[in-house]
Amino acid sequence: MFKKILIANRGEIAVRIIKACQELGIQTVAIYSDVDTTSPHVTLADESVNLGDPTPIESYLNIPKIIQIAKEKNAEAIHPGYGFLAENPDFAETCNKAGIKFIGPSSKVISLMGDKIAAKKTMEKAEVPVIPGYHGSKQDNESLAKEGIKIGFPLLVKATAGGGGKGMRVVKSEDMLLESIEGAKRESKSSFGNDTVFLEKYLEKPHHIEFQILADEKGNTIHLFERECSIQRRHQKIIEESPSPVMTPELREEMGKAAVTAAKTVGYSNAGTVEFMIDENLNYYFMEMNTRLQVEHPITEMTTGIDLAKWQLRIASGEPLTLKQEDIVQRGHAIECRIYAENPKNGFLPSTGMLHKVEEPVGPNIRVDSGIITNNVVSPYYDPMLSKLITYAENREECIQKIIWSLSNYVIMGVTSNISFLKKVLEHDEFHKGNTTTHFIDNYFSEWKKKKNALPVDALISLAIYDSMHSKKEETVRYKEADPHSPWKHVGRWRVSEEA
Amino acid sequence: MFINYEHENNVYGVTVERREDNYFITYDNTEYKVTCEEKKPGQLIIKIGDRIIKSIVTEGEQEKYIFIDGNVYKVKPVQLTGRTNKRKKEAGEADLDSPISGKIVNIKSKKDDTVKKGDVLIVIEAMKMEYLIRAPYDGVVKKVNFKENDQIEIGQTTVEITKK
Repeated sequence: MFKKILIANRGEIAVRIIKACQELGIQTVAIYSDVDTTSPHVTLADESVNLGDPTPIESYLNIPKIIQIAKEKNAEAIHPGYGFLAENPDFAETCNKAGIKFIGPSSKVISLMGDKIAAKKTMEKAEVPVIPGYHGSKQDNESLAKEGIKIGFPLLVKATAGGGGKGMRVVKSEDMLLESIEGAKRESKSSFGNDTVFLEKYLEKPHHIEFQILADEKGNTIHLFERECSIQRRHQKIIEESPSPVMTPELREEMGKAAVTAAKTVGYSNAGTVEFMIDENLNYYFMEMNTRLQVEHPITEMTTGIDLAKWQLRIASGEPLTLKQEDIVQRGHAIECRIYAENPKNGFLPSTGMLHKVEEPVGPNIRVDSGIITNNVVSPYYDPMLSKLITYAENREECIQKIIWSLSNYVIMGVTSNISFLKKVLEHDEFHKGNTTTHFIDNYFSEWKKKKNALPVDALISLAIYDSMHSKKEETVRYKEADPHSPWKHVGRWRVSEEA
Repeated sequence: MFINYEHENNVYGVTVERREDNYFITYDNTEYKVTCEEKKPGQLIIKIGDRIIKSIVTEGEQEKYIFIDGNVYKVKPVQLTGRTNKRKKEAGEADLDSPISGKIVNIKSKKDDTVKKGDVLIVIEAMKMEYLIRAPYDGVVKKVNFKENDQIEIGQTTVEITKK
């Protein structure tokens, strides 16, 4: 096992990985930019190194700087987390050349899976079903538009290098086609430095279902069942659950096998995720493979009892995967909510500012993976995800109740969060029924505005008492609390004066 | 003491008085006699008869936040000396303001351009997402306030258009 590793990330995932390292007795080196000096991951690590300039390209995306720090600190390996450099093949390769182990699959596999077109072609050859579309090399707008019309509408324009909804457009009719192609290209260019796009049939009533994979470097590959991640806004997941409410035992077995085939076909190693879409009739199609630890990995950990972050470290250090497919059992139900600094009333635009108070819910089977503490500042530089709330229960209905309770007891003050929106989604009848298609938010919440509710009387009472307690005028009465029998409390206030 | 709180453009007037261990709060012609314990800074356990209210109050720079029953409310002290003069926006004008702080990545209009309602004028990128500023009405571009790669803050006006 490694003695020391560097974590090339920030926020909750850096915290998650540092804790896994600490449990395994691995020393940790954290990195942080100027706006993250008070973030929890910085002090949690054994050592932390300042990156300076908070711009991503100068900080968490700065490959030479990160490699240099790893060398100076004698870190044997780098864990990239998710986002930032996690799926950057050049970074994996640079680590390799520097003699530092990249915790993830090989640069070659990242490269292949990062190219969504090549990935689909590879899967087609391996007889894993893929969705109809155009993945060709003719990338001029006119040719793409022609191919789009051939596939028909609605249609999806997606950046080859994309992810997380960036560089992606849904086209409902022909007149929006050109503008959407241009937009997707531009967004992809600025986010990923590559503007190749592909077109795809847009499925009706689809569910996004993904399978967790673990593979060691000797080719032993298993899956850890599915996660349903259909509840999305702006094409980004906000609520995930495991198991999926639409899954059947037969389909689970078939898709699990397909996921393992997909991973084995490309020689995958470490933790990964094979994403599928399924339609109304439970036909499944391979979408892409994510070559990293996913944001939503905790729900798999809860339902299987397996620590994915620790297995990543073991596998990267060369240990064999001792888990056998038949030993993996899916038990109970887990749900994750992503807590974002954003305003659901205003198109889910990110919100920034000071977090004046953060208090997490506590209770049995409630897990909070958090990257924030009271008095942290949410800056506009990085993704606005603050933390993840995960609950586990015997069955789906109890799990929904538990996560609603937990959300109601999650205090985040100072920055607008999506907590009350998440509660409304979880309380929705269609969510309870399991009709969690990827169009859920558009279908039921597109016109959603949080009711302008009056300030409740209980809130006014609390505020008035708080102000009364903390106002200077009433300071004298507060002295009474010190000792109710003290004779001094009857004396009133004294002034101490040097001249007297 | 008498306090005014402003929440979402409504003003609430409350009086509070402390006598011995009780607080007397008057709001909307009703008096509430309560006891209160501050367990941790800002964390209040209030008893009204047998009913228990649990709330957390925290202070921002000017505003206060209160967490109660799973909801967060933001209140501001009300200025008693005169009203704050907010510039009234013309109808539709707000649509030309940036909804977010970010970087201008593309400018699709220039001075004297004739634009149609819905035309994309400026593309702003923040947190790796694109936000399109579209013309809220037909008109002629009077002024473009930014150039490509400029940083823009939330609420700043991107483009000025003379309405046709």
